Amino acid sequence: MEKKSVIRMSLGIWVILFALTALLLGGCATLAPEKPKIMVPTDRGTVLFLDKYEFKAPVGWSLMRNLEGGDFELGFMKIEPGAFPSQTTFMYDEEPYGSSRDLEGRANQYCTRFLFNSGMIPEVTKREKTRVMGLDALVLYFEGENPVQKEKAKSRVYLIKKGNRVISFVCTQWRPLKGQFDMRVFEAFDNFVQSFKFLKKTFYENLDEEIQKLKG
Amino acid sequence: MDSHNRDFYLYEALNARVLGVSMDDVITNKFFAKAFWLDFLLVSNPLAWMGKQYGAYADKAPFLPDGSVNNFGRRTVVVDKKGIVRYIKDGSPDNKEILSLLLKLEKEFRGK
Repeated sequence: MEKKSVIRMSLGIWVILFALTALLLGGCATLAPEKPKIMVPTDRGTVLFLDKYEFKAPVGWSLMRNLEGGDFELGFMKIEPGAFPSQTTFMYDEEPYGSSRDLEGRANQYCTRFLFNSGMIPEVTKREKTRVMGLDALVLYFEGENPVQKEKAKSRVYLIKKGNRVISFVCTQWRPLKGQFDMRVFEAFDNFVQSFKFLKKTFYENLDEEIQKLKG
Repeated sequence: MDSHNRDFYLYEALNARVLGVSMDDVITNKFFAKAFWLDFLLVSNPLAWMGKQYGAYADKAPFLPDGSVNNFGRRTVVVDKKGIVRYIKDGSPDNKEILSLLLKLEKEFRGK
């Protein structure tokens, strides 16, 4: 009889332990917040980025995201074959250098600051007017070298007039001084830019509307 | 500074005035303003009383007994039309936060 009651007791303890574990695990499952997906694919061959933007995501590139605000809104990066620094980054930046709201003026300001921290002053090799998302834009082509760091860079920058502000898309390819640039990545960048769509009004567009309402 | 300059038209639309304060002398500030194309005023405050009044020193006084100078920390202060401090933030300015506050203050002022 004693043996049976010991077995029953230990069984009871196991049942209680199992129930507690199940409860704890269940609790954890319900408490853990569901992480929102950053990029959701669509049937149009594009992705939705945090429900704010839609674009064709480049294949084989790593997503860079600025978690603390600041330099850029979203971007992609690719480490390429070859000695350091063989890599390319491109990004959407809603606050490009400078403050002029006129495209030409902003481009002039931009050129004095772009890649300044890298220790090179890149030259503008070409500058042309274009349209992106149906908006007026300027494309700036840069090239520069840093003989001390033994590296060079090639960049393409779109400055776009959107409402009252200027936004930008920036692609920079880095290579050692003797390395070769790969122009195919600029095609991937152009495809990204041309496919880019805003799904929501920006903070500044909403603010403009609020100010108009206030004044009206 | 760059971000405040970019948003200068919005500050004006919201009836706010922007002042940058530094311990640098007038000539240095003049060159700084030119280099960054600043549209707003910079105040040269070498004796640091403004920084002290607005608490822009974290732990040290502006001038230390050993002769060293402790420059202003980065601080954003919003003062409303009645002279009441409505916002203080250290570090890089959060322009969206500042503009949202200014919109709220302007609505308050207009009674909307």
